[in-house]
Amino acid sequence: MSAPKSTAGGAVQLWEYQPKPHDPVSTKTLGFWLYMLSDALIFAGLFAAYGVLDQPMNAAGGPTAMQVVHPVAAFWQTLAVLTSVLAYSLATVALKAGSRAGVALGILAAMALGLVFLGLELNDFVTLFAMGATPERSGFLSVFFVLIASHGLHMAFGLLWMLVMLVQIMRFGFTTEVVTRLLSLRLFWQFQASVWVCVYVFVYLKGIVP
Amino acid sequence: MLVHLQGPWSPWFGRLTLGDIPYTNPVIIFAFLFTVVAGIALAVPVLYYRKLGYIFREWLCSVDHKKIGVMYIILGLVMMFRGFIDGMMIRTQQVTADGPHSPGFLSAQHGYLPPAHFDQIYSSHGTLMIIFAVGPILTGLGNIIVPLQIGARDMAFPRMNAISLWLSVSGAMLIMASLFIGDFSTAGWVGLIPLTELPYSPSVGVDYWMWALQISSIGTTLNAINIITTIIAMRAPGMRWDRLPIFTWTTLSTNIIGLTAFPILGVALALLGADRYLGTHFFTGGQGGNLMLYTDLFWIWGHPEVYFLVLPAFGIISEIIPTFSEKPLFGYTTMVAATFAIAGVAWAVWLHHFFTMGAGPWVNTFFSVATMLVGIPTGVKVFNWILTMYRGRITYTTPMLWSVSAILMLLIGGLTGIMLANPAINYTVHNSVFVIAHFHCMVLLIAFAIFAAIIYWFPKVFGFRLDEHSSKRFFIFFVLGTVTVFTAMFALGFMGETRRLDYLYDPQWLPLLIVEEIGIVFYCISVGYFFRMLYVSIRDRGRNQCGADPWGTARTLEFLTHSPVPFYNFAVTPHVNALDELAWRRANGHADTPPDHYEPVHMPNSSMIPVIIGVLSFGFGFGMVWRIWWMAGFSLLAIIALIILGSFMPDPGYTISPEEMREMEAQHRAPGIMADSHPPHPAAEERLV
Amino acid sequence: MTDAHHHAATDPLAHPEVQQASAAAYISAYVLTVGLLGVGLFMTERHLVTPHSLIPVIAAFAIFLLVAQSLLFLGLDVSHSNIWKTVSLMLTVPLFILSIGLTVWMFHSLDHLVMSPEMPGMSLQPGTLQ
Ligand code: HEM
Ligand SMILES: [Cu+2]
Repeated sequence: MSAPKSTAGGAVQLWEYQPKPHDPVSTKTLGFWLYMLSDALIFAGLFAAYGVLDQPMNAAGGPTAMQVVHPVAAFWQTLAVLTSVLAYSLATVALKAGSRAGVALGILAAMALGLVFLGLELNDFVTLFAMGATPERSGFLSVFFVLIASHGLHMAFGLLWMLVMLVQIMRFGFTTEVVTRLLSLRLFWQFQASVWVCVYVFVYLKGIVP
Repeated sequence: MLVHLQGPWSPWFGRLTLGDIPYTNPVIIFAFLFTVVAGIALAVPVLYYRKLGYIFREWLCSVDHKKIGVMYIILGLVMMFRGFIDGMMIRTQQVTADGPHSPGFLSAQHGYLPPAHFDQIYSSHGTLMIIFAVGPILTGLGNIIVPLQIGARDMAFPRMNAISLWLSVSGAMLIMASLFIGDFSTAGWVGLIPLTELPYSPSVGVDYWMWALQISSIGTTLNAINIITTIIAMRAPGMRWDRLPIFTWTTLSTNIIGLTAFPILGVALALLGADRYLGTHFFTGGQGGNLMLYTDLFWIWGHPEVYFLVLPAFGIISEIIPTFSEKPLFGYTTMVAATFAIAGVAWAVWLHHFFTMGAGPWVNTFFSVATMLVGIPTGVKVFNWILTMYRGRITYTTPMLWSVSAILMLLIGGLTGIMLANPAINYTVHNSVFVIAHFHCMVLLIAFAIFAAIIYWFPKVFGFRLDEHSSKRFFIFFVLGTVTVFTAMFALGFMGETRRLDYLYDPQWLPLLIVEEIGIVFYCISVGYFFRMLYVSIRDRGRNQCGADPWGTARTLEFLTHSPVPFYNFAVTPHVNALDELAWRRANGHADTPPDHYEPVHMPNSSMIPVIIGVLSFGFGFGMVWRIWWMAGFSLLAIIALIILGSFMPDPGYTISPEEMREMEAQHRAPGIMADSHPPHPAAEERLV
Repeated sequence: MTDAHHHAATDPLAHPEVQQASAAAYISAYVLTVGLLGVGLFMTERHLVTPHSLIPVIAAFAIFLLVAQSLLFLGLDVSHSNIWKTVSLMLTVPLFILSIGLTVWMFHSLDHLVMSPEMPGMSLQPGTLQ
């Protein structure tokens, strides 16, 4: 293992005068990806809690999943978030071509659909609250609301970030920093869709399985 | 949604009233005076020598990984000191409060601490030691050493590195604030549920504990991202994975745990927070809550957390033993494999903290077997260290003494751990001080490794060695104290003493409690020698100066550059040719071959943003604790605004030209250069943001 | 890192992570996800399969979709710029399964032992909305 490694000329190389530059884009997106993984474990914790508290006992006489989820209505939310992700992804296709207008348009569409998603979610919450199904009602409802609201909070942050990126694209153009952020934001936004797939299947669909 | 609280509340001050300042409690007054005196003792020289600006610019705003590491370690040592005082108070309470006839002092019926105060002390002892002492010190060591060991100029994200530090500091400050404003949690460092729920702990104590943990654990997660990215992306040319120094490997594995486990703690605390602030029912007794869910989530993090702490300690031991045995580490590959095996298995054992929940024979068996499996890779490590020493040319410097004793502690702690991993045994000793003795062997092994590391790498960072004479005495008394206290504690565990008692009902425990108190006396003496070590070393620093490799037998890359390490780490990036590069260079006669010319080097600027974020996150925590909504809301918004603002101002950095580099290097090669005698590079922009 | 700024002159749009964007992959991921979730919804609403086997089926859908999204939307592969993302994801997935799976298992087992419906007070029927 300690055999000396020689350079082509046979002499030992001790110093690297012009090291290959570190890839600034990939270093940052990797860092951001690691953040996403740790964020994913937040959802692991929340889903574990959901798995534990999704028992008849934990409804404490209040409504169970069967009574609070409406998978058909929530399918619209599914469509909104997925289409939003598609729009953002297509914005990165425009990025490849260097089209500012294309990127901005894609992001605007993604934002609009994201807002639709949040609007639908809020509406759902308001209806449930009006029926007396509040987080304080039972352990089950606590985890139901907190799980979904955590995802919603992430969505809201994504929207804020998109707003900032719109400004930065206009102001700086496609600099290394801006492009790196656009790529990271794509990871973030895509991640919200993946979490939503889990929420939709394990909360909404599973909720109406008797 | 917001829970309605009993008691006064005002929009400006939240729950805070003058009555929350415990100025009538003599113990706290003493602590307060002590803190004030210590603060003045620090502030006076700073002001006298007009160093305030220097400290602000060169330290608080620094993004240099070495300075950040040093600040982490200082934070950790200060917190360890406070934690030590807590421990001393716990022991003294117990020895004075044994048996129905034990006397009472101050306002206590037995001993000198009333129950509520005693409970706060053991809760803060555990929280401080695990989260704010050992954690930051190890993080600091990783910060300083890892980039040097892999031949990098800094971390991948220097500014985020500073943010991590200031989040940890602000968590620690919240705990300090709890000492003088309001109170601290009485529910242990683990947050015993349902005691932490609002009806049972209506005061702010639990909130302090919760937010301090939450804020500092965000810092830990950010740091993990930084270290992992650094190790993956910033290695010097030739630093292949099979040449990565073992401390870097263990830091990598530990930060994988940091990255993935801390979010679960975040969830546990956030859900508890929802219960306390929003009135949800996650962990409440009634209304469909599930207490054991908290325990489960806490230990999903909690067990990996203990390995988060122990793995870097293993790395430190693995660096020091080869250096002072003058042999390469025995079984490098198995050491790396064992490290990752431990980190992996650490994720499937957490139920051993609550076997007594009664999840059934299958579940308990699974977790019991998984726990015992950890013993295998741990054993591999022990054998590797011993075989490294075998037939080596051993010099017993203090780092080596600490390391060898750490192996013994690991043996005792590990074997008692395996005992606890057997549910049949666990049911009888769970919640007894036997458990305390077990894990103190473990965390003290970490402390041993920490002291070894501080003494081992101190000369690297500051350019002079620590005084061996007093540091050996520090070592001897510390080990004596450890053995005395915890041998007696194992026995008391078997005799049925349960944990966390402010009053001990069985007079037969007294003799062993007195033995423990004697151990505390040894500890106190050792702390005295620790301060003496610092004093003597700083006084004689001129005499103890050292070159690049203070020990003469070091093996890894960090000992290739000057001591103290210049802010640019390496004038020219080293090209790595072997595992144990420095040992290889020494063997081949290249140890002192300098680069023949220099190239421009690019460095990041300092920034004020991280320390401001630290202050704001303290404001957020304090606002949440006291339910001063405007303060919490403002701080949170300001943090978000700062981050967005920062993203509009990318750091152009600055460049060191080859000529400047030649000059600085020439100075370094001249003897007699002290840590602060190389001022910051003149080209460094004075701009801070 | 900091050395990076030197080389900012190189066109960031030429970076492989920008260049890997592909409309075809994105659209197929989208169609797949919407389609499969739609099928899942249909199966659940219409009770096409017994509840007992339905849960594994929709869980399989979810897992399939997560994998498909990682490959098509995120374009994860073992290329130079993506390898560490892929590796770190592969290391994290087991932790996911462990933390959720073991938790659910231990509480299921616990409930089975200590909360059987025959015990007093354990037979709370879910109520209806007020
Ligand atoms: C072979 C390795 C180990 C085994 C088999 C083991 C086993 C155990 C078991 C079974 C318990 C639960 C005891 C009870 O509460 O009934 C326990 C507690 C504990 N262990 Fe270990 N352990 C090991 C290593 C470690 C290490 C390396 C650390 C720390 C760095 C550690 C720190 C702790 C702590 C802090 C607790 C108690 C937490 C509390 O309840 O406050 N252990 N250990
Ligand atoms: Cu454990």
